[in-house]
Amino acid sequence: MNKWLTLLAKVFAWLAVAAVLAVVLLFLGFLVVRGLSTFNLGLFFGKTPVWAAIAGRLPVWHGIWPACVGTVFLVLLASGLAIPLGVASGIYLAHYAQGAWKRWFGLAVEVLAGIPSILMGLFGFALILFLKKTIMPQANTCLLLSACCLALLVLPYLIFMTQTTLESLPEELRLAGLSLGFTPWQNMLHVLLPAASRGILSGVILAVGRAAEDTAVILLTGVVANAGLPSGILDKYEALPFHIFYLASQARNEAELAKGFGTALILLLITAALFLGAYYLKSTVTKSWDQKDLLI
Amino acid sequence: MGSKGPVDLEPTVVVEELHVGFAGREVLHGLSAEFHRGRLAMILGRSGSGKTTFLRALNRLNECFPQSETRGSLRVKLQGHWRDIYENGLPLPELRHRVGMVFQTPHLLPLSIAENLALPLKLILGLPRREIPARTARALEEAHLWEEVKDRLKAPAHILSGGQQQRLCLARLLALEPEILLLDEPTASLDFRAALKVEELLLSLKERYTVIAVSHSLSQARRLADAALIFRDGSVVQRLSRADLQARDILPTLLEEIF
Repeated sequence: MNKWLTLLAKVFAWLAVAAVLAVVLLFLGFLVVRGLSTFNLGLFFGKTPVWAAIAGRLPVWHGIWPACVGTVFLVLLASGLAIPLGVASGIYLAHYAQGAWKRWFGLAVEVLAGIPSILMGLFGFALILFLKKTIMPQANTCLLLSACCLALLVLPYLIFMTQTTLESLPEELRLAGLSLGFTPWQNMLHVLLPAASRGILSGVILAVGRAAEDTAVILLTGVVANAGLPSGILDKYEALPFHIFYLASQARNEAELAKGFGTALILLLITAALFLGAYYLKSTVTKSWDQKDLLI
Repeated sequence: MGSKGPVDLEPTVVVEELHVGFAGREVLHGLSAEFHRGRLAMILGRSGSGKTTFLRALNRLNECFPQSETRGSLRVKLQGHWRDIYENGLPLPELRHRVGMVFQTPHLLPLSIAENLALPLKLILGLPRREIPARTARALEEAHLWEEVKDRLKAPAHILSGGQQQRLCLARLLALEPEILLLDEPTASLDFRAALKVEELLLSLKERYTVIAVSHSLSQARRLADAALIFRDGSVVQRLSRADLQARDILPTLLEEIF
């Protein structure tokens, strides 16, 4: 009986893995088959000369270049806001918060994690309306507002990952530095954070991925279908997820729909590139940490 | 031990009426003791008798654990000045590198061998980069480790054997030029040979430092200790001099007390 159960569990586990792999491959294959044919300079720049478009001298119509730039800016800005805040909150929860306060703060983070992205978008929209009516009549939805709302959306991933990784480090690692006479801050910066960098990086990757794909938040806070390159963080912008949504709902023929698939593939590639960037950053951090050459 | 040591020797650590508790449960009940430079004092007793807590009271490491409470007087002579370590504001980091500690298992920093010594030198003493190699080499020599690691200073510290790791931890302490060494069962995680090497090292160190070591082993105490405190349930139940430890007829009662 027991033997059969074990076998059954094994088969089920294998099937589950196979199913997940199959879905991922099917999904990628589908995107490639439908979208790859649209890959050319026209997809990015329409009929605008490439260098003029990249330099921003001529506007791009019917190309996804402004949306690519918008998405990269958006993700970088949102990560730049969320990563320091999230990591700092995680450190606070893991090492400094105590008792009831820690429970309440932890609960608040959980609530934040449960807020649907459309609500975060509404919050941003309401915030701008409020500012417009009170102290800043010129305020408008823009790249910065979207980035702030996205940062709020991804903050819980960063906090959770930082907190759980720091809390799972062995006690002896914490005591080693402290017993030598490191201040708590030196111990955090030079011993604990580097040791936790792998876990924190997982949080960063989750956050970047989430920030790159979210459509609901930016829909209400500043993205538009045709803005060209954003001229600043207080400007309206284009973004890839919204562009995909737009193409999918407004496509008038097969060719336009195919562009949607091509755009989705580009979004996937950009996210992958951001992940690779994060990995590279992490490996240089840990490398310089492992092999500091003070003796040379 | 105070009464049984030579009278002309002034102690370097004086503990009076030390109470330590965690979350309202008292672990040490009004303990008093004295320790001297140039001597190795050993603390013996069952698990849970408060030995480690006592050591950690001496470098205030108990405060790294939740809800710890310490009362009593704990005076230490550092650089010729008496300091009450819980009273007159000796900064914690300074106290901890002057009163260095080695743990039961090697507590390495996950760095290279050299960096394990260099990072504390840089961060705690603020030593300029050019002075670090010489200081590192000197400490490794003092810990009888230099010959074994001089060709692979940049290798990760965790590839060393257990005994070497423990001596590396000692070298890391010695590089910071402490005055008092706290050793929490430094040979407990080592095999016989590695333990002997560490013991040899301790014998050579005790001339220049005040050494306070916790041990489980009576035979180790007989080999190394100049004095011993027997702990039971958070109190000192017996104080022994070196002569007491060597005396044959004391063995049965000691075994009874400790195990």
